[in-house]
Amino acid sequence: MADPLIRLENIVKRFGNFTALNGVSMDVHAGEVHALLGDNGAGKSTLIKILAGVHQPTEGTIYLDGQPVSFRNPLVASDAGIGTVYQDLALNSLTSVTRNFFVGREITRGPRPFGILQTAKMNSVTKQEMAKIGINIADPEQAVGTMSGGQRQALAIARAIHFGARVLILDEPTSALGQKQQLEVLKTIKRVQKRGDIAVILITHNEIHAQLVADRYTFLSLGQVIGEGVADNLAGGDIRQLMAGGAQMADLEEELTAIN
Amino acid sequence: MNSTTERGGQPAGAGHLSETDRLREAGWFSRLVHRPEIGAFSGMSVILILLAIAAGDVVYNPLGIKNNLAIVAQLGIIATGACMLMIAGEFDLSIGSMIGFAGMSMAIMLKWGLPFGIGPATPLSAFLITLCLTLAIGWLIGTIVVRTRLSSFIVSLSFLFILRGATEVSFRTFNQGSTQVSGLPDFKETDFFASLLGGETFQWFYDLLFWLGLNFNRAGDQWVTGFDAKVAWWLVISIAAWFVLSRTQVGNWIYATGGNEEAARANGVPTDKVKVSLFMFTAFCATIFAATQVFDTNTADAAKGNLKELEAIAAAVVGGVILSGGFGSIVGVVFGAVIFGLVQNSVFYISWIDGSYYRMFLGTVLLVAAFSNETIRKRITGGI
Repeated sequence: MADPLIRLENIVKRFGNFTALNGVSMDVHAGEVHALLGDNGAGKSTLIKILAGVHQPTEGTIYLDGQPVSFRNPLVASDAGIGTVYQDLALNSLTSVTRNFFVGREITRGPRPFGILQTAKMNSVTKQEMAKIGINIADPEQAVGTMSGGQRQALAIARAIHFGARVLILDEPTSALGQKQQLEVLKTIKRVQKRGDIAVILITHNEIHAQLVADRYTFLSLGQVIGEGVADNLAGGDIRQLMAGGAQMADLEEELTAIN
Repeated sequence: MNSTTERGGQPAGAGHLSETDRLREAGWFSRLVHRPEIGAFSGMSVILILLAIAAGDVVYNPLGIKNNLAIVAQLGIIATGACMLMIAGEFDLSIGSMIGFAGMSMAIMLKWGLPFGIGPATPLSAFLITLCLTLAIGWLIGTIVVRTRLSSFIVSLSFLFILRGATEVSFRTFNQGSTQVSGLPDFKETDFFASLLGGETFQWFYDLLFWLGLNFNRAGDQWVTGFDAKVAWWLVISIAAWFVLSRTQVGNWIYATGGNEEAARANGVPTDKVKVSLFMFTAFCATIFAATQVFDTNTADAAKGNLKELEAIAAAVVGGVILSGGFGSIVGVVFGAVIFGLVQNSVFYISWIDGSYYRMFLGTVLLVAAFSNETIRKRITGGI
């Protein structure tokens, strides 16, 4: 196995006297989907915010390509190739697909910020990049509001990749979507995985979705890694149990029957 | 899994209907009715026809066109500023007071000389100093809004009162208790810069009408000689704003700022700078409005511009701008200004109705426009 694209070593994050993360380590490889699973409050959000440069770790080191890096702010992280797709997707549904794709990084001719938009070129790039992850956009000038939830997710992912994301963090991409849309998003993730050069960190609550696409798992509970492994060595029952923070499903069933 | 990746490699084939295919339904007609300015355009067409029937010649004769376009242009200038700011998600209620303030500032300098006794003012120096003042106030309003995160509605409302008060106090201080200045020299006849603001423009249009035999008075001489200069200012400001908004990078930033500010910031758009600049742009528009008025009439009055901020916002809404920001167009605002300005001015020529009906009419138009904008927005965002 090649070296990991990004490695977290003993990441500790404290907010005052609250320890959100207590020595988390994980390796994420290019071309792999790494599922980050855990119950609410397990520290998933804190971990991705550290990767995205929103928070700085109290202790521990992040290695990118084997080199220690520190992401002082989100801009540094995104310049280093960390692309985060948040749940709200950061899109403006009233403007066009192209305008959303290039917002803040428009292709222009002339002095900033009054440079003239190279609309035709931006449209064709948008179309191409969307097609690469399997979404055919007939008209890139159509408002984002006309797209389905799955397509919007794809747009946000394509945008992150086009602007240099090598580590793609997807924050619960399938939540708040209908069944069919969830499958669309999983297909999109699969296509990104197939490229082979991008490391995907998939945060999800849904173990079925994780099983469908993930190569590797890390389970968080109360700020600690309580389990990890490659897809082939984990049975579905293990995953469900670890996701619930290690609680025995059998115990839970007993407790539930006790109420009846 | 295998089948998934295989399908991914191919374009969506016939028979396999995916979500993307639904986007293709948009034809030219659907595209047209999705344009933000379509409602305003329809409204404007109806009004132009109705006025032709009800008022006829008085509206469409050479003088009627000149007078109507002057009112439309005035409103259009400030509506453009209001529109740009609203697309970025903010309001400026201080536009009207800013007009009064700028007019006062120019008139006082023209009558009593430049500040600190530097010497007498020329139209250019009075205008430039006033512009610096108003831009600074626009900057201040914008900066307060972005720094404190207070609603721009409240911040600019405070400046509505502050500026109007400052205007009246300044007038009374200089002019023995009067809140007006009249009888300024007719600068537009002697000064090139003043004629640019208060003089006439597009004289060739009326020369042409005269040559065609459509523009003469009882003595048989040429009747109307040209449009007010504010018409040219309106066109220049509108075209510049249209270009910036629809064709440039900063235009995309304006839409992004109003549509989803957090997202825009996350993607590197300097949203605070965008907003502050647009508050300064509305101040600029208000100053041009005031300057065209002062150099046209050679008077100034502390009450000038009263309620204009609301008319500007109303014209922008009629033009298809959505109150929550992120959507709208300058072309729509041009139509909105034509609707508002025409009705406001022309109803007085229709002898058989009370002129004040125009307010009731405009209120109704505004309500209908706001309602249809909301419908358009829902259609675009898929009914969410």
